[in-house]
Amino acid sequence: MSALMEKLVPDTQAPDDGGFGLARRKALKVLMQHGFPQRKTEHWKYTPLALLEKRALQGPIAQQGERPPAPPALPFATGLVHLHNGVLDPDRSDLPSGVTLVAMLPEDIHFSELDDSGPAHAFAWLNIARFAEAWRIGVEPGLECRLAVVMSFDDGFSGVVHPRLKLELGEAATVTLVESQQGRGEGLCNRVFDIELATRSRLTHGIERASAGAAMIDRTVIDVGRDADYRAYVLDGGGPLTRQDLIVNLGHANAHGSICGVAILHDRSLVDYHTAIEHRVGPSTSAEDFRILADDQAVGVFNGRIHILPGADDSHSTMNTGNLLLSENARINTKPELEIHAEDVTASHGATIGQLDDLARFYLRSRGLDDNQAISLLKYGFAAAVFDELPEGDLRDWMIEQLRKRL
Amino acid sequence: MLKINNLHVAVGGTEIIKGLDLEVGSGELHAIMGPNGSGKSTLGYALVGRDGYAVTEGSVEFEGRDLLELEIEQRAAAGVFLALQYPVEIPGVNNAYFLRAALNAQRKARGEDEVDSIDFLKSVREQLKILKMDESLLKRAVNEGFSGGEKKRNEIVQLAVLEPKLAILDETDSGLDIDALKLVAEGVNRLRDSQRSFIVITHYQRLLDYLKPDRIHVLSDGRIVESGDASLAERLEREGYAFLDATEA
Ligand SMILES: Nc1ncnc2c1ncn2[C@@H]1O[C@H](COP(=O)(O)OP(=O)(O)O)[C@@H](O)[C@H]1O
Ligand SMILES: [Mg+2]
Repeated sequence: MSALMEKLVPDTQAPDDGGFGLARRKALKVLMQHGFPQRKTEHWKYTPLALLEKRALQGPIAQQGERPPAPPALPFATGLVHLHNGVLDPDRSDLPSGVTLVAMLPEDIHFSELDDSGPAHAFAWLNIARFAEAWRIGVEPGLECRLAVVMSFDDGFSGVVHPRLKLELGEAATVTLVESQQGRGEGLCNRVFDIELATRSRLTHGIERASAGAAMIDRTVIDVGRDADYRAYVLDGGGPLTRQDLIVNLGHANAHGSICGVAILHDRSLVDYHTAIEHRVGPSTSAEDFRILADDQAVGVFNGRIHILPGADDSHSTMNTGNLLLSENARINTKPELEIHAEDVTASHGATIGQLDDLARFYLRSRGLDDNQAISLLKYGFAAAVFDELPEGDLRDWMIEQLRKRL
Repeated sequence: MLKINNLHVAVGGTEIIKGLDLEVGSGELHAIMGPNGSGKSTLGYALVGRDGYAVTEGSVEFEGRDLLELEIEQRAAAGVFLALQYPVEIPGVNNAYFLRAALNAQRKARGEDEVDSIDFLKSVREQLKILKMDESLLKRAVNEGFSGGEKKRNEIVQLAVLEPKLAILDETDSGLDIDALKLVAEGVNRLRDSQRSFIVITHYQRLLDYLKPDRIHVLSDGRIVESGDASLAERLEREGYAFLDATEA
């Protein structure tokens, strides 16, 4: 058994199967058979899992009897689900009427789309095998509301947690969801978040994340219903290992999905985005725009796949990734992938990696800004455009404020 | 106000300005003309301190200070402004935000308070009106998608808002139609006073008709080869720069 296997799947920590026995056994079997990704495993080349091998990855995940600290400030008053060290903080979680929070049932766990023939989805399997809590948030049809999911950690957090969440939007519900994830300590948070948008529902999804220590592995899968509209806006401030898989399934007519993100990376931060937009039925539309700004010795990865499957005729997609290398020692790897198997389709993609424009820098300085201000402003100008289209003004202002703080 | 003495400037190891002397007094407007490639833009860049424009010899005194010792932004705060021949697009940076940030940075460097944001907006709107520019430009990214003429006028808006003591205009009139040219000239004339000086680089008599320069200089191959009053511009307009070779020969 590999070192990572012993660390992440120790026999002693098996949780109560909680009725999830079937799924858990399947997950364990896949893990035992294929283990964790290696350096050569497709889609895991740049994720430094060796970091996890070096970590102790044990210790209590929750201080007994201690009240978790208050979650960070949010852009607006909202219903709140607070997870501290990966566990629900029931005192601070509070949802408006029409929104329910219940423990997941076995049928809420989907794994038919996970690869069981290799290690590519090992962390998703690991989540199934080892999650301690799994929560389902339901929004009733037609409801309009704002929600927040906040994840915080103790400074001394050194455990491994596998939070599992599901959000279900009822028909024609309109939701703004803001997520704040602030990693600390030396542990690993291996989260899975499933989101389902029923017919004509709309979700605007902001994710603001940074980690001062904890490794953050996140797999978010969104199923967009007929005439439904999903928009994600991600802002990453870095951390030693942040891996974001974002999968948008457009499986119904007139489904729309757009995903945008900005990563502002300093020091030795690593953020690895793996996104997939699956046009399964046409007509459907998607748009994607990710920007990585890597300074110091940071590493940014963007692997964006747009897949237009047979039957998704009359689908339209645009993808763009723009990247700024701000130091000689920073690295950015981008790979847009476009696969089209349908007709009457338009799809475009563009990718650039550049540096700060010296002439623009001079221009700003010649108007009185010092060099640092000029650089910040240029970085801001490069990144902020991603949030221009954010339809929810309060969320946009907040994301832009968080962005400014990180420049 | 400005005393340039035996200035030599090299770009990429090649000497472009080759011993240039120029004095501009308070409140004066000097025009610099000269053929393409003679070093006019290089002179402007060297005065504001752009990287890569190395002063290899000579001195520049601005209000009694050694201008060449100052960083780019310090020169801006001291009151030197260059309207670029090709204004730069800054994607994603809002024009109004940029203007205010620039003004506040200069004020801070001079030990002054930040501008009141309402007063600021008022004054910017007024300038836009004078230059017949749409207010929506404030919300757009700096120079991005602006027409050539809008870019040039935007430089004059910046000039009016930042109120420098010495403004260098590098071919701000090139590419402008006659109406836009008039607007730019009016914009400049409004800003003229006994405490503010201008160096106007241009190819055209037209602009100078409106501005009525105190002195006109002809720059050729990195040196000022001829200086005179307004009649010099008229002669250049008639005869082109060919007579320079004749005088030199
Ligand atoms: N960045 C540069 N690198 C190399 N040569 C330059 C650069 N900028 C200007 N030059 C050269 O310097 C000379 C003067 O250019 P410039 O000052 O732009 O002239 P003008 O503005 O009078 O047309 C030209 O020969 C030009 O080719
Ligand atoms: Mg020029």
